[in-house]
Amino acid sequence: MAFKARKSKKDVPIPLDSFSDIAFLLIIFFILTTSIEKLVGFSTELPTGKATAQKQETAKTPTVVLKAGGALFNDQSVTLDQLTHRLGALELGEKEDAERVVLLDAGKDVDYQLYFEVMSLITDANGVIGILTEE
Amino acid sequence: MVPIASMGDIAFLLIIFFMLCSNFVKEKNVEYKKPMATDLTAIEDSGLSVAVDKKGEIYLDGKSIADSDALKSALEPRLKDKDAKDQKGRSVMFKCDKTLVKTQFEPVLEAIVGAGGIVVAVGDKKKTNP
Repeated sequence: MAFKARKSKKDVPIPLDSFSDIAFLLIIFFILTTSIEKLVGFSTELPTGKATAQKQETAKTPTVVLKAGGALFNDQSVTLDQLTHRLGALELGEKEDAERVVLLDAGKDVDYQLYFEVMSLITDANGVIGILTEE
Repeated sequence: MVPIASMGDIAFLLIIFFMLCSNFVKEKNVEYKKPMATDLTAIEDSGLSVAVDKKGEIYLDGKSIADSDALKSALEPRLKDKDAKDQKGRSVMFKCDKTLVKTQFEPVLEAIVGAGGIVVAVGDKKKTNP
């Protein structure tokens, strides 16, 4: 009696013909779902302090006060361009860390757009932002 | 005849390239308008990301967080082991809608700082007129 020789599983060839098709489909998926986004912003280590406890220190420290629609630098009303120049004139980059602090005191109704712009100006002028919070 | 034998290899190399270069967006469902400023520099995506959407809802790595206290509690264990000098390790991306007012975003900033994080504020570059 003749037996048929069993075909070993190892002999079965893996179909490779469609591999490149699958690969190209995956590429198309990645191309379509990828959105190239370059993140921009600024990094800052924010020390915070209570407004009432800081009054004596704030007398010496440059302070930016934000109100809805405007900014004050050391109690003088300034535009953002003027603020850039005033911060630049402080030459904070040449000072030690403790002397680079610029206090930021914002009113309740100040929006994040203005807050963000002023924070970026202070960071760009090599300042360390100190946020004043209300008790 | 066009040689197509190596097409599969090329395709797989391209897939590997895309997979290594892609960063998956964590805050897919978070709707916010980025604030704009002129002097912004390129920043690296750090591991942690905090977002505040236009309704004032807080998200940590795309997951909704109840309030700023809960955010601080969630951040603390992830930042406590970081060395104080490890600026990159302590960086927390902060994405916030530009229309929100101080009472909505400042507690979030305080929570990040309170947990020992360094705020990396994300925005868009404002185009200046030549």
